[in-house]
Amino acid sequence: MSSQVEDMRKGPAPKVGELIEQGLITLDQAKDWLRTIYEIRFFEDRVSELLGQNIIKGASHLYAGQEAVATGAAAAIQIGDVIASTHRGHGHCGAIGNKYAADETARQTHWNRMMAELMGRQTGYCGGRGGSMHIADVQHGNLGSTGIVGGNIPNAVGAALAEKTKGTGAVVVSFFGDGATNTGAFHESMNMASVLRVPLVAIIENNLYGMSVPFSGSPVEGTGCAANIQDIAQRSAAYGVSAMIVDGQDVAAVFQAVHRAVQRVRTEGQMMMIEAKTYRWYGHSRSDPRKYRTKEEEQAWKERDPITVLRSKLTGEKLCAEDELDAIRDKAQATIDAATQFAMDSPWPDPAELAKDVYVEESYPESLIAEEKTQAARAMKATAAFEKAVATLSGATKKEITEKAKALVREQHGMKVLLMKEAIVEAQAEEMRRDPSVIIEGEDVGLYGGAYGATKGLIEEFGKSRVIDTAISEAAITGAAVGAALRGLRPIGEIMYVDFVTIAMDQLMHNGAFNRYMFGGHAKVPMVLRTEGGVGRCIAAHHSKSLEPWLVNVPGLYVVMPATPYDAKGLLKAAIRSDNPVVFIEHKATYGQVGAVPDGDYIIPLGVADIKRPGKDVTIVSYSRQVMFCLAAARELAEQHGIDAEVIDLRTLKPMDIATVAASVRKTGHLVTVAESFCMCGTGPEIVRRLIEYRFDDGRTGFDYLDAAPLNLAAADVPPPMSEPLENASIPTPDKIVAAVRAML
Amino acid sequence: MPKDVRLPQLGQTMEEGTFVNYLVKEGDAVKKGDVLFEVETDKATLEMESPADGIVKKILVEMGQTVPVGTPVLVLGEADETVSQSYLQSLTGGAAPAPASATAQAPSEPAAKPAMAPTAGAAAPATPAGAPAAAPQGVRVVPLPQLGQTMEEGTVVNCLVSVGDEVHKGDVLFEIETDKATLEMESPADGFVKAIVAEVGQTLPIQAPLLILGPRDVDVSSDYIAAVRGGTAGAAPAPGKAEPAAAQAAAASEAPPVEKTAPTTPGRVFATPRAKLVAAELGVDLSGVTPAEQGLRIVEADVRQAVASGKTPVTEAGYRLGQRIPMNRLQRIVGEKMLLSKQTIPCFYLNIQADMTAIVKLRERLNKGQEVKVSFNDFLIKAVALGLRHYPIMTGQLDGDAIVLAPTIDVGLAIATPSGLVAPIVKNAADKSLREISVACKGLIERARADKLSLDDLTGGCITVSNLGGFGIDSFIPIVVPGQTSILGVGRIRDVCVPSDGNILVRKMMHLNLSVDHKVANGADAAQFLDFVKKTLEHAEDLAD
Repeated sequence: MSSQVEDMRKGPAPKVGELIEQGLITLDQAKDWLRTIYEIRFFEDRVSELLGQNIIKGASHLYAGQEAVATGAAAAIQIGDVIASTHRGHGHCGAIGNKYAADETARQTHWNRMMAELMGRQTGYCGGRGGSMHIADVQHGNLGSTGIVGGNIPNAVGAALAEKTKGTGAVVVSFFGDGATNTGAFHESMNMASVLRVPLVAIIENNLYGMSVPFSGSPVEGTGCAANIQDIAQRSAAYGVSAMIVDGQDVAAVFQAVHRAVQRVRTEGQMMMIEAKTYRWYGHSRSDPRKYRTKEEEQAWKERDPITVLRSKLTGEKLCAEDELDAIRDKAQATIDAATQFAMDSPWPDPAELAKDVYVEESYPESLIAEEKTQAARAMKATAAFEKAVATLSGATKKEITEKAKALVREQHGMKVLLMKEAIVEAQAEEMRRDPSVIIEGEDVGLYGGAYGATKGLIEEFGKSRVIDTAISEAAITGAAVGAALRGLRPIGEIMYVDFVTIAMDQLMHNGAFNRYMFGGHAKVPMVLRTEGGVGRCIAAHHSKSLEPWLVNVPGLYVVMPATPYDAKGLLKAAIRSDNPVVFIEHKATYGQVGAVPDGDYIIPLGVADIKRPGKDVTIVSYSRQVMFCLAAARELAEQHGIDAEVIDLRTLKPMDIATVAASVRKTGHLVTVAESFCMCGTGPEIVRRLIEYRFDDGRTGFDYLDAAPLNLAAADVPPPMSEPLENASIPTPDKIVAAVRAML
Repeated sequence: MPKDVRLPQLGQTMEEGTFVNYLVKEGDAVKKGDVLFEVETDKATLEMESPADGIVKKILVEMGQTVPVGTPVLVLGEADETVSQSYLQSLTGGAAPAPASATAQAPSEPAAKPAMAPTAGAAAPATPAGAPAAAPQGVRVVPLPQLGQTMEEGTVVNCLVSVGDEVHKGDVLFEIETDKATLEMESPADGFVKAIVAEVGQTLPIQAPLLILGPRDVDVSSDYIAAVRGGTAGAAPAPGKAEPAAAQAAAASEAPPVEKTAPTTPGRVFATPRAKLVAAELGVDLSGVTPAEQGLRIVEADVRQAVASGKTPVTEAGYRLGQRIPMNRLQRIVGEKMLLSKQTIPCFYLNIQADMTAIVKLRERLNKGQEVKVSFNDFLIKAVALGLRHYPIMTGQLDGDAIVLAPTIDVGLAIATPSGLVAPIVKNAADKSLREISVACKGLIERARADKLSLDDLTGGCITVSNLGGFGIDSFIPIVVPGQTSILGVGRIRDVCVPSDGNILVRKMMHLNLSVDHKVANGADAAQFLDFVKKTLEHAEDLAD
C-alpha cells in the first residue's frame, strides 16, 4: 500500500476561471458557492442570535468560518453520493440540501426545515427529534450528524461498504473534526475502510481545537495539546492510504481537492483522506469564552474569511461585479430571514406522538403466529423423540446411534436434527440466498467459520465480498453494520462475545438504535448484531457475561435470545428480515445442543413467546440456555414432587410477550423468572414489573392473580468467576430452580 | 434528710397520671431536671423531671399505676442516708407500696439477682393469682396502657413484633382497637422481646400484661411467663391457648363466639392479591380464613379450603337473603351508643328550612380555580359553630345537679366509611375560618376513609352535623350522640317555589332538623339557635370571611 501526503497549499491556489475553463464548473455554480456560503453564515449568525434569546434551546455548535469546506465538498460530489456529518453539522446539511434543491422553492423549503429542526418544531428535518446535533436528511444521502465525537465515522465506512456491495459507484464523504482523529472509532474506521477498500473520502476539518484543547498547541499560556503532530494527514500513513492537505478557507481549493479525491476513489477503489485547515468563528458552543486562542489569531483567520476569499476571486478574476455579489448576499439573507419566520410560525411536535418512529412498526399475520405455535410444539416433540432414541437405540458407535436416531426423527416426525450452530449457519445461508443485500462482517467469520462455528462454510458459498473478515474492531464492526443498514443492506455483524459489546455500545445505541427516531422516522436500520453470551466454558468475567439487561434498556433495539436449534433458525431469519436493529444473542454452551428443525423456509415471529411445557401450578419464565435448565427442573418437579410447572421461553426479550406470561400466571398464580444475567434492574425484575402492570381485558392486572411474591433467579452479583464450581455457583441451575419452586408452593 | 417527690400537675386539666415508664432505678444519682418517669396524663405522655439533686432511695409507684396529682412517687436522699420504714409509711399512708393492679411488675430490686430468678419464678405459680412473680434483672412486663380517657379494654388486632426482636422505645408493638379507634401501642422502653403474652384477637382490660421485655442475654423462664399470663387470666396458664382475658368484662356476654384460629375482629389481613380476588369472587370474608400452618399470608388454597370446610363468612358484596352477617366492632359500638342515646336522652325535634340560593352561588365563586373546594358541610359547620357561640347553652351536658358548658366549640361531622359510621370532630370550629374548616374536614374525611382517625379526632364535640342530602333525602331526624347536646340532620338542596311579595320565586331550599337533649336545653333556646343557624346560612357572605 502506498501512502503519500500532498500539501495542496504549496501549489498555486486554483482560480475560479481555471475550474470553469477545465469544464469542472460553470460560473453560475461558482456564484452559487458564494450564495451557499452566505446562507450557512447567515444561518449560523441567526442561530447564535436565537440561542441568546432562548428561542433556540439546547446545544448548537456553529459552523461559521468553515463554510468553504462543506460548500466545496458538496459541490465536488455527485447526486447519489453520500455524506456523514459531525456534531458541527449545519454547514454540511445546508450545502447538501442546496445541492438537491431543484428550484428556489425547494431551496427555501430546505432552509425552512433546517431552522425549524433547530427550534425543535414539527416541520423540521427530523420533526424536532434530533435538533442541531442530529440533523439529517437520509433521503438525500446525508446520514446525519452525531453528538459523539468520531461516532459517525464507522457509519460512513459501512455506508461505503454498502455502495461497494451494491455496485452503485457512489462515494461516501465522511466529515469529521480534528478532535475525532484521537478517538478509537477513527482508527478502527480508517483501518477498516482501507483494508476493505471501500469508496470513502475522509475529510478532516482541522479547525485547530477540540472543545478547548488545541490539536497541535496554542501560544496561550496554560493550554496543552491533543496531539504531537501538526498535520493530521500524516496519520494516513498508518492506514496505507493517500492524503491531501488543503486550504479550508478557499472553496475553490476544497472543491479541487475533493473532486480529485472522489475521482481517484471511484477509479482506484481506495479511500483517501483530506485535511482541510480551517477555523471556527464562534467558540465550541455558546458557553465557550475562547480563552484558549488569541485575538490576533482570530483576526488573522478572519482576514481569510471564505466569503472574502471567494469574493476576491470572483471580482479579482473579473468574473463578477461587486453589486452582483451584494445581491447574492442579500438574497441569502432573505432566505434565512424567511426560514426563521417559517420556523417561528411552525407548530411544536405533538407529545401524543412522542413514541412514534422509535421502531419500524412490524406485525405478523395471526395465522403465522398460530401455525408457528403448532410447529414449535412439533419440534419439541421431535427433539424429545430424538433424545429418547439416542438413549435407547443401540449401535457400534455413538455416531451410528445418532444417525439411526436422526433417521427415526426424519421418518416419524418429518424433521431433520441439527446442532444449534448448524441451525444458525443454515438460517444465514438461506437468507443470503434469498436476499443479496444480506452480508456478514465480523472477526473470524470467514475461513475460520466464526469462533463458535456459527458462520462455518458460508464463505465458500458467498465469497469474501459477502462474508467479510474484519480486524478486531468492535466499534467499527458495529458502526459499519449501522451505516450499511442505513444504505439499504441487511448486514449481520458478529461480535464474538457479548462482553465486547461494551466497546461498541456507542455505535449500537446512539446510531443503531437511535438513528431512526432522531432522524424523524426517515431512516431505518435493518441490521442484526449476532453475538453470544453466558457462562459455561470457564473463560471468566470478560467472556462470560449476560448483558441483555443493558441492551433491553435501549429504546430502538430488539433483543432476541434463542434456546433451541429450532428457535435459533426461525428467530434469526426473522431478525434478518426485520427492519429494526436486532441484537441476537446465542448462548456459548448451546452451540452443540441438538434439536429437531423442520425442512424448508420458516420464520419465528419476533416478540412471541413459546410455552415449552404447559403446566398449571407455577409459571417459570426464562430464555436462552436457562430454558433448558427450567425444563429439566420441571421434569424433576413433576416426577418427584407432583408439581406441574409451565415453562415459558420468551425467545424475544424485546419486544417482550408479556401477554403469554400474564395468561399463564392468571392460571397458575405463581411466577418464577430464571435468567443468567445480573438481577439488579435485570430481565427477571422487568418481567415481574410488566406482569404486575399487565392489564387484562376485564381491567384486572397481572398483580391481581399473584398468589405469592414472584421470585427472580439470576446470576449472583459477582463478575463471572473462572473456576468451574464457582461458575456453576454463580448462575441458576436445575436444582436451584427446583428448590425455589418448592419453597414458593 | 430524705425528700419526697410528688406527682406534679403537668397540665391545666390534669388530675391524675399513669406511670408508663421508669427512667431511674433505686440507687441512681439524679440531678435536678433529669427525667424520672414518663407519665401519661389525660392529654399526652409527659416526662416528669426531678425537682432536685440526690440519690433515688425508693420508688413508690408501680408501672401502670394511676395516682392523683400530689401523690408521693419517689424518695430522694443523700448517698449514705437510710430512709426509715416509718417515713415511707407516712408517705404511703401506712401501707407499703402494693401492686396497684394485677400487673406482674417487678422493679429491679437489688435482691432480684439473676441467680435468684429461677427460684422466684418457680415459686410464682404457687402464689395466689395477682401476686407479682419476681422477674429476672432488667426484665419488665409491658401492660396494656389506657390509650384514651374512656378506654377500659382493648382488642389486640395486630402484633408487630416477634419473640427475639430487638425493640426501641417508641417502636410500635401492637395495634390495639379501643372503643374509639384502632391505635398503635408503642414500646415504653428499649429491650428484646422475651415473650408475647397477649394474643391477636384477645380483648383485654387495661393494665393486662401484653409482652415481656428484657436484656439480650437474660433468659426468661417459662414459669415466669406462665406466672405473668396467669396473673391476669386468673386460671391455669395454657400457653398459646389463652382465652380472651376479658371474660369478666360485660362485653363477653355479647361478643360472638371467637374462633380460636380465626379472629373475626377486623384487623390487617395478610392475603395475596389472588386470594383476595378468589375470596371476592366466592363471597368469602377473608377475616374468617386462616393461612395454612406456617403460612405468613392467606393464599388461594386457604380460601378454597375455607369454602370447602364451610367456614365462610360472607362479605358485604355477597349479601344473600336469610344470611347471618357477623357484626363488625364499629357497628356494634354505633348500635350501643344509639341505644344509650334513645334510653338516656329525651329529645325534642325542630324543623326549619333555609334558603341556600345565596350560598350555592357563593360556593361556586369561592371554588373557582381553588384546589381545596369548600363543601356545603363546611358552611354548615361554620354556621353551627357560630350559633353555639351565641347560644352556649346548646353545648351543655348534665352533670349531677349542674349543666356544664363545653370549654370549646367542637363540631362533629358524620362520615360513612367502608367499615361503618364515624363522626370525627372539627375542633374550635367557631374560631376557624371557612377555609380552615374545609381543610380540617378534608383531613378528617381522608383519615376516616383510610381508617386512620386518631383518638383525638374522635374525642369531644357539642353537636354533630349529619347530611344525607347527597342521598336525595329531603328531611330526616337524627339521633343525638351521647355526650353531645344536639345533632343537626341536613337534607338535600332543592328548587322550591317560594311566595315573595306577591310573586313566586324559585329558591334553593334545604331542610334542617335539630334533635335536642331536653335535659339540657328547652325549645326556646334550641329554636333561637336553629333560627340563627338558618339566618347565618342565608347571609352566606358573612361566613366566607
